[in-house]
Amino acid sequence: MSRFRLSLNDEPALRLDQLHVGYGGSDPIIRDATLRLDQGDFSFLTGQSGAGKSTLLKTLYLALPPLQGEICLFGQSTWQMSRKDLASMRRRIGVVFQEFRLLDHLTAFENVALPLRVEGRKLDSYAHEVEDLLRWVGLGDRIDTPPPRLSGGEQQRVAIARALINKPDLLIADEPTGSVDPEMGRKIFRLFMELNKRFNTTVLIATHDIGLISEFDKPVLRIQDGRLSPVRGEVQA
Amino acid sequence: MNRESPLLPHTEAREAALFFVIGALCFLAALAALTTRGTYAAAAAWGDQIEGEFTVVLQDTDRRTATGIADDIAQMTGIDGARLLSEAELDELLAPSFGPGGLPDGLPLPLLIAVQAAPDAPDPEPAITTILDQAEVEGEVSGHGGFARQVQRALAVLRLIGIGAVSLLAATAIAVIAFATHAALLARKDIVDVLHLSGAEDRFIARLFARRFWVLALQAGSGGALAALMTTALIVFSASSSGAVESQLLPRLSLDIVDFAILVVTPVIAGLAARGAARITVLQALKGTM
Repeated sequence: MSRFRLSLNDEPALRLDQLHVGYGGSDPIIRDATLRLDQGDFSFLTGQSGAGKSTLLKTLYLALPPLQGEICLFGQSTWQMSRKDLASMRRRIGVVFQEFRLLDHLTAFENVALPLRVEGRKLDSYAHEVEDLLRWVGLGDRIDTPPPRLSGGEQQRVAIARALINKPDLLIADEPTGSVDPEMGRKIFRLFMELNKRFNTTVLIATHDIGLISEFDKPVLRIQDGRLSPVRGEVQA
Repeated sequence: MNRESPLLPHTEAREAALFFVIGALCFLAALAALTTRGTYAAAAAWGDQIEGEFTVVLQDTDRRTATGIADDIAQMTGIDGARLLSEAELDELLAPSFGPGGLPDGLPLPLLIAVQAAPDAPDPEPAITTILDQAEVEGEVSGHGGFARQVQRALAVLRLIGIGAVSLLAATAIAVIAFATHAALLARKDIVDVLHLSGAEDRFIARLFARRFWVLALQAGSGGALAALMTTALIVFSASSSGAVESQLLPRLSLDIVDFAILVVTPVIAGLAARGAARITVLQALKGTM
């Protein structure tokens, strides 16, 4: 069951080395975070509210620069990447935001297609992919509906579909079950596991829902007192 | 169903306010530019006219001799016209000094020849003096040079004030448009963030917003320029109907090709200001991110 391995032989999907995370001008929220996630790993990140889960994830999906230390994604250090490289790297990372971040003036279809449009792809080349994915997340009948007319759970699934549309190598989800009932939460987690198995996508999910975590036999990392540490699984963090 | 809606939402209430601000500023800027140009033209014409006018004052001679002298002057090179003022015209000229009662009888008055020289003509005074000497008439040439120089100085100040006012208004308009664009765009930072995190490059996002605000400012500016055109046309029409346009003291609003160029350029400048502000705002917002 070793999901976290410290190996120098192959390039990990994600490697953190002595990472300090926080906002400029204030003390780090997380210190000395060291971690390795290989391609195909699936793990949970937990911690109390305000522990720094979202801040750590922001840094991992390249929205917030680290205060100190190094992030390596697929063998490349972010310090060595140009802004163009960072944009290109973001396209390999799918993110499910806690607050969804859907664009209200676009339909579910157009929200999901957003990462493909910014990549410069034409509608003809992705229309079927987007429709298939929306059906896969159970929104086949809500394809042309804008987010304000969707329920919280439906919006969550649109956000998930958007994160998955360009078959990311790394999927990061921040409290993806925060606004859905436990049954929908289970469905969403199973969806992530299916994605993990089907495409060998590396998955990191932040959640404080210990009940749900306990139903899935996957490694768990915890942030406590500004430190990242393993609490389940053979973890070397 | 269209499945490629614009990545930026259609015009919103806050953009309607921006639209109004840009339109109003372009209206004011275009109108100020047209008026300043009209004032400039009127001032130049006024100056030219004063510059070319002078009077020959003849003492102790009769009207017949004076008429002959006026004819000789009129035939000189660089002279557009010369004529002896009638007694009625002299009375009218002196009326402000002597009141409605008219001139006292027996008051010796000089005879006056009004001369209009062509613009850029050489100084005619030596030639006129020669004509007077040949006719054995005592007289002097009274040019308006000193007055004209004062007028020219006043006109130069007027032109500077006009150009300064238009420049200041244009600069203010550009600054306000840039600031309003910046404010309108910051309100849509959510879209910038989503696009950024979806892997869009900085240039892609900046181009998207720059194009949006360029079009918005161009439309609003065109509306403002059109309103300025209509207002100017109305002024020109009203002035020509009332005959005021004949006065050299009023701005000469003409709506010629230069005026139309001003009306075309105004919205383009507004568009460029909005476009530049949008681009800078987006790039600065993204600079703070990774």
